[in-house]
Amino acid sequence: MTTVAMAADARHEAADRARTGIHIDNVTHSYGARASGRGVVALNRICLDIADGEFHALLGPSGCGKSTLLYLIGGFLPIQEGAIVTTNGPVTQPGPDRAIVFQNFALFPWKTVKQNVLYGLRKQGLKGEDAEERARDYINLVHLSGFEDAYPSQLSGGMQQRAAIARTLAVDPKTLLMDEPFGALDAQTRRVMQEELRAIWGRSRKTVVFVTHDVQEAVFLADRISIMSSRPGRIEHVIDVSLPRDRGEDTLEDREFIHLSEQIWRLVREQAVAATRGR
Amino acid sequence: MATVQATSRGSLKAKRATPRIAPDRLVDITVQAGVIVVLCLAWEFGARVGAINPFLLPSLSDVLARIWADAMSGTVFVDLGLTLYRTLAGFLIAAALGIPIGVLMARSATVRWFFDPLISVGFPMPKIAFLPIFILWFDIYDTSKIIMVTFSCFFPIVAATYAGTTGQDKWPIWSARALGAREHEILWEVRLPLALPQILTGLQVALPVGMITTIVTEMLMGGRGVGGSMIMAGRFADSVGVFAGIVEIVFLGFAVVRSLEMLRARLLVWHPEARK
Amino acid sequence: MPRAGTGTGGINMLLDISRGALRYSPIAILLIVWELLGATGLISRQMLPGLGEIFGELVAAVVSGDLLYNCARSLMRAGSGLLCAVVVGIVAGLLMASFRPLRLLINPIVQIFYPMPKSALIPVVMIWLGLGDASKILLIFLGCLLPVVVGTYNGARGINPFMIWSARSLGASKLEVIHEIVLPGAMPEILNGVRTALAFSFILMVSSEFLIATDGVGYMISSLGDGGIYPAMFAVIFFVAGIGFLADRIYAAFARRQLAWREA
Repeated sequence: MTTVAMAADARHEAADRARTGIHIDNVTHSYGARASGRGVVALNRICLDIADGEFHALLGPSGCGKSTLLYLIGGFLPIQEGAIVTTNGPVTQPGPDRAIVFQNFALFPWKTVKQNVLYGLRKQGLKGEDAEERARDYINLVHLSGFEDAYPSQLSGGMQQRAAIARTLAVDPKTLLMDEPFGALDAQTRRVMQEELRAIWGRSRKTVVFVTHDVQEAVFLADRISIMSSRPGRIEHVIDVSLPRDRGEDTLEDREFIHLSEQIWRLVREQAVAATRGR
Repeated sequence: MATVQATSRGSLKAKRATPRIAPDRLVDITVQAGVIVVLCLAWEFGARVGAINPFLLPSLSDVLARIWADAMSGTVFVDLGLTLYRTLAGFLIAAALGIPIGVLMARSATVRWFFDPLISVGFPMPKIAFLPIFILWFDIYDTSKIIMVTFSCFFPIVAATYAGTTGQDKWPIWSARALGAREHEILWEVRLPLALPQILTGLQVALPVGMITTIVTEMLMGGRGVGGSMIMAGRFADSVGVFAGIVEIVFLGFAVVRSLEMLRARLLVWHPEARK
Repeated sequence: MPRAGTGTGGINMLLDISRGALRYSPIAILLIVWELLGATGLISRQMLPGLGEIFGELVAAVVSGDLLYNCARSLMRAGSGLLCAVVVGIVAGLLMASFRPLRLLINPIVQIFYPMPKSALIPVVMIWLGLGDASKILLIFLGCLLPVVVGTYNGARGINPFMIWSARSLGASKLEVIHEIVLPGAMPEILNGVRTALAFSFILMVSSEFLIATDGVGYMISSLGDGGIYPAMFAVIFFVAGIGFLADRIYAAFARRQLAWREA
């Protein structure tokens, strides 16, 4: 299958880091009154290169700053120290090249599914029938046809998250940021969404940065995983996931998958235990 | 059913707190205090320099001097005391009637049948329009003023109590039952505490309404009080007197409303709203 | 709700009517007690005019056009004051929530004047603007402003911040976010604040007309009362109460429509 070849290409292109992908250079971030020194250091000197077209997972216990790092890439928080550079230059503010999906969906509850998807398209200057058609396409892609005119409050959690993903994908972002997007879903829905996301990514060749604290989710979805520690947040390990590009239900029984999950779980557990003792 | 519009919905917060650099509270307080000082100075000197017609807005110092003089002669305290007395008397009677009726409405179908339509019709009516009827029935002295205030405060209190005591979460009540509590104990120890946030919200809506009403009754029927003194000053084109009244009533309103807020904070230390 | 077919329509309508009658029967009971108290002479007819007499006066006042004219005058004042308060209040609330310097500037003023009983401003507006329409419109504007400001501010501050971030990352500018996300997101609380303001507008309209006016329903009530024409006074009072009730019902229906998206 050609997708496998494309994956290999994507990894080769990773060598060419000067032009593409996301480059996080020595980023430090603290909350609270920094000047008075009472602040909490959330991220400490983070360096990370994410290649173009890579599916990268940020994995770690809660409070390790993985979401903060994602918000910095998104341009939602001001960068205090260091720099983040993407294909479009240094990150200074949010932009549709780095669209985001949040854990609590953040759909606009007063807009229907279609109006939510159209919102981003209108912001891109797309109007009329073109916009409508593209909205329809993306609603189809996430299997929500027939619910175009439903309000978010009328949908289940899984459907709301699919709508949020459609809204984000529709603006065709170069980079897709995902902040524990399946965290609020039940286990079954979650599994289905993971497979769908992986399939969508396989077709669209986007760079994905995916924040999670679920080891299996990270291994199942990602090409590379950054394991983070807390207080102050650091990247302790970066691990290549050497699983086939096409992943499905069988992947979960794959020996390599099980082995990797156990190995990573041990690394994450160390961090979690250290974090608990630290308090 | 249209009976009750609960004013306090649990505020829908984001799952995670916004990561935001905490604003320096000291700066906030200083700047806001500064704004008040600047406003007072602008008032004082705006009137003095003649930028403002002193009849339309007499200078702050003139107003304060009037309050001082009235405080020396004691009239300020008589006015404030009377206004406070009428407000609180009417308000407390309304609470003493409204809270039990609201609880009973939630507990008994008969009580609900009787009061529900009266509340749903009475709640949105401008009660102040009935004032001349109370004057007709109870004359112009304190009785009719206090009854008018009670009448105004009653509806928000009943509506909030009823909203708070119906549709309560069943888990705490079942837990209490499982632990051996009897029904009347559950009422006092579970149902009322659970309804307390909404009841307090009802009281917090009712009290300012009671004050507004008191002031109007005093203006209309006389008999001293801040409202009575202000309308007299207004009729005699004594603008210093009018603004002295405004300053007094701002203080009174602030003190009364803040006291109720403090009471709420004390009574609801257990509530998530206390963590802020 | 399932719409009944034509066959059962009549029966359902009867059921609806009888259900409504049962629901509102306590009001009927109160009215009967009213009549009995007057008829048996327990309370003098002077104090408690008969309901028939009151209704007759109401019809007469409507037919003569007197009541409708005064009502229109009153509603014009309340409406213009309220409208200005809603517009200014929403803008001020949104600005306060969005820009810290403005928040610091406006917040202390709100804190001081929010608890003040607004009826105390009646003599102030009388001094400022005299006895005409302007004084009452200003009073109603000032009285209705703060509930709208505070409702808008709380609503805007309570918005899920991730919603704002989503809009920003989809390409909305900061100003667009205020208009397209913050305003609709704050709408539930704005509508609540406006409802409070609506109630205040009626209270202030009636009380200011009691005190400083030469027309309007409040003036009608007080002059009928002064003249001792009590049945007519009761008629106008009930009419005003009914208008206030209706205004609130209409507003509630409007607000429900605006918030249709909240109902699953």
